[in-house]
Amino acid sequence: MSDLFSFNGAKGAGWSQPDPDMNASEIINTIPSRLRRQSLPKWPRASEPEIVRHYTWLSNRNFGIDNGFYPLGSCTMKHNPRINERIVQLPGMDRIHPLQPEHHVQGLLAIYFEMQEMLAICSGMDQVTLQPAAGAQGEFTAMRCIQEYHRSRGDNHRSKVIVPDSAHGTNPASASMCGYDVIEIPSGADGRLNLEALKAAVGDDTAAMMITNPSTLGIFEHEIAAAADLVHSAGGQMYYDGANFNAIIGKTDPGRMGFDAVHYNLHKTFSQPHGGGGPGSGPIGVKKHLKQFLPTPLAGRRKIADSDPSGVGDGYWYSWDDVGEDSIGKVQQWNGNAGAVVRSWAFYRRYGRELEKMSEHAVLNSNYLRYKIMNPDPQIAEKIHIMPVNGAPADLVMHEFTLSLTPLKELNGVTGKDVAKRLLDYGVMAPTLYFPMIVPECLMIEPTETESKEVLDKFAADFHKILSEDPDIVTTAPHTTDVKRVDEVWAARNLILRHPGGVLE
Amino acid sequence: MPNLGREKEMLAVMGLNSMDDLFSNIPQEIRRNEPLPLPPPQSEEEIWSDAQKLLGANITLEDRPSFLSAGLVRNFVPTAVSMLATRGEFLTSYTPYQPEVSQGMLQAMWEFQTMISELVDLPVANVSMYDASTAAAEAITCAVRVHNKKALQKDVVYVSEFVPPHRLAVIKNYTQGSGIELKALKHLSDGHVDISLVKEAEGCCAVYVEQPNCFGMLDSTLVEIKEILGEETALIVGVDSVSLGLVEAPGSWGADIVVGEGQPFGIGPTAGGPIYGIFACSNKYTRQMPGRIVGLTRDSDGQRAFTLTLSTREQHIRRHRATSNICSNETLIALMGAIHMSLLGPEGLEKLASRVAANTELTKQAISSIEGIELANPMAFNFREFVIKLPYPASKALNYLDEFGVTAGLDLGIWWKSMESCLLIGVDERTSKSDIDALYSGLSSWMQEVSE
Repeated sequence: MSDLFSFNGAKGAGWSQPDPDMNASEIINTIPSRLRRQSLPKWPRASEPEIVRHYTWLSNRNFGIDNGFYPLGSCTMKHNPRINERIVQLPGMDRIHPLQPEHHVQGLLAIYFEMQEMLAICSGMDQVTLQPAAGAQGEFTAMRCIQEYHRSRGDNHRSKVIVPDSAHGTNPASASMCGYDVIEIPSGADGRLNLEALKAAVGDDTAAMMITNPSTLGIFEHEIAAAADLVHSAGGQMYYDGANFNAIIGKTDPGRMGFDAVHYNLHKTFSQPHGGGGPGSGPIGVKKHLKQFLPTPLAGRRKIADSDPSGVGDGYWYSWDDVGEDSIGKVQQWNGNAGAVVRSWAFYRRYGRELEKMSEHAVLNSNYLRYKIMNPDPQIAEKIHIMPVNGAPADLVMHEFTLSLTPLKELNGVTGKDVAKRLLDYGVMAPTLYFPMIVPECLMIEPTETESKEVLDKFAADFHKILSEDPDIVTTAPHTTDVKRVDEVWAARNLILRHPGGVLE
Repeated sequence: MPNLGREKEMLAVMGLNSMDDLFSNIPQEIRRNEPLPLPPPQSEEEIWSDAQKLLGANITLEDRPSFLSAGLVRNFVPTAVSMLATRGEFLTSYTPYQPEVSQGMLQAMWEFQTMISELVDLPVANVSMYDASTAAAEAITCAVRVHNKKALQKDVVYVSEFVPPHRLAVIKNYTQGSGIELKALKHLSDGHVDISLVKEAEGCCAVYVEQPNCFGMLDSTLVEIKEILGEETALIVGVDSVSLGLVEAPGSWGADIVVGEGQPFGIGPTAGGPIYGIFACSNKYTRQMPGRIVGLTRDSDGQRAFTLTLSTREQHIRRHRATSNICSNETLIALMGAIHMSLLGPEGLEKLASRVAANTELTKQAISSIEGIELANPMAFNFREFVIKLPYPASKALNYLDEFGVTAGLDLGIWWKSMESCLLIGVDERTSKSDIDALYSGLSSWMQEVSE
């Protein structure tokens, strides 16, 4: 093992810096005597070659889309084009301060404006803000806008937010952080939204409903317009969780479905790399009546005037426009994850008006893979102990689908988790596990549009092999990874959350 | 998209005829039947050319002397940092839900937690928040969850009145839902916290202060606060992370939670994001803290391994009872921070902080020597930032200096109307003698012009 804290070589050997322009005793006098640091942090002392080897070694123990198929449901793990990384290294991006005057950042503002407009068009919303730093923050931001909207109308009694039981965990968590009570409604037997349950939950105290469409089961909520009518007629607002936006661009949009607010995950739909857990970017779009509550500022533009300094050459002058006194203020300190916005802009430019094709291929790949898994060739089928069942009975799915491994568990004790871990041995990432919670022994699979037919065929074949394998091999998987099955309970019980110092046992 | 041109073949396998068949579950009333009103697709070459044109039109912090900081720094990031962090295995991985194939990022984050823990002198750190402001906001909600039961001033949190308005706005958004009442912690006219008023905060859930404050002032009276507050009130301290190479770690003078901007370690100012917030705390807050945490564990063979832990706090398990809604955080930027910190080493950190401290002092001395310009707080010890008072609105000086070719700082009137004649000047490790000279001549000639 390479242990970062085992490096303890020459002082400050790692990285050369120029000397300060004052001597040490003068420098220390700039710090009040009571505040001078007594002992330096115990960071490693390493040279650049040691650090390069350490992190290269770590990277070799990590699995990204670049390593193989990543069918992680609800996460839209698509290929991350490399041009995007090159663009954000440009000094006009990396070396920009968010408080620079507008005439310093016309190019950045132009990209912000274009992204606001594009996202509004794709979602059927009137105004987009790019400030939220991640999807969950987008949800929170939109719910804050909805909250202020109700307050502005004197509707202070609207204290409840309705969420289907198949929703992402961030939905109820975001609503709760705004101070709302969360009402979870059960899905119907087909996994879809249950209008009767919604009717029973909706009332005078409803602030909003939060829902994703297609649902986390990967099926389209065809009664969504009726649901929106129900919520609206009770005075509530409709919030669209855009985690599954990759399925519908150009085919329908949340505006047509009756939503008032929506968030987008640029790190899902628009290929901002997920980076092992972030950064993300979670812009939101709203209908006109919510615009005045958005966080501030927004990118705006007007026709360029003769008196303006030179712009970017498109005939417009771009500006940061204050949203006004009804704005909820700020949710991120500056103007959001600009780097993610610019990467997503580059991604979007590659598709332009053909973004629809992206969704078509995402849905094609998902249905194809589901079909291949559920319909093995007869000579393969006879070797399989027992087939999983679909998480939802629909004939067609959207960009993702769920499988329940309950039959296998009942037959020989092999769980969804075991199959997921065994897939790692076949060189692919495991699907999302045990979510949505309404599907028992659930695997949730999202191939995305960037996987070839061959990759999908291979995954289906490997999946079938696992279903045919000796249960002892599957329940003890993985066998070929850097470490064997990791004990998560031990971690939670012992809570060793930092290096203890000395030699790591 | 590798399956372009193979649609028919794949559809046929499923017994479907057209791509449209795939969308037959969307009711006709809500179908979009017209094309998206967007421009045609572009090639990579065209995108690169447009990106260069647009972003090339920006005036960057490198194009001229720059003294704009205000919580985000024009740093130098070692070349190895982004080369290593953007290796595809890191860049294109998801949150490490499958630890068996994610040991690399998990170990890197555990090491990150360790370096942050060492930096601020508190035992626990998480994998990152979105930025310094959301870290401060969620530190406050975390502290209230821990202390509210026994608090004499229920739901009350005191926040330094010198917290900049954009951060306060974030804090307000994050705290209003749980009914937290924010009260202002007053400062004396010399900038120090009014220690005689800290008693008023006794029995509240938390006190939030910044060291240095948003004017760059180091406040030595802050070390007395914890003793006044006692164990039932959390002391939350926001830091300039680089300053901790010279300034005592808040964990050593009573801080229970330390937050701050991680950006100086790892990434450029990058137009304000992605950056990352630091969040560290003492053990009693661990189970109420927000965000991802990596723990050491072992695998089924008993060998050492790493995994995300304490996930029962989190939204995907606890749903509306979660400690936070945070899911995606800033892991990759924290990784950049970890690489940067490990390249610096302890002495490299001290040197980095020394360079900033030296440049602060040199700039301060030069600028305060200009006739008619005074330091807002002549007795203050400053790190990175300081405030000067001008005879006319700072916006006028900024415009003049902009024409002169210097980005001179922040007009504090943007933050507080009453400070419209104050200019916030910020330096970094790279501020050079010629930068200082340029600011000096620019401000001098502006002073000359306005006094004529």
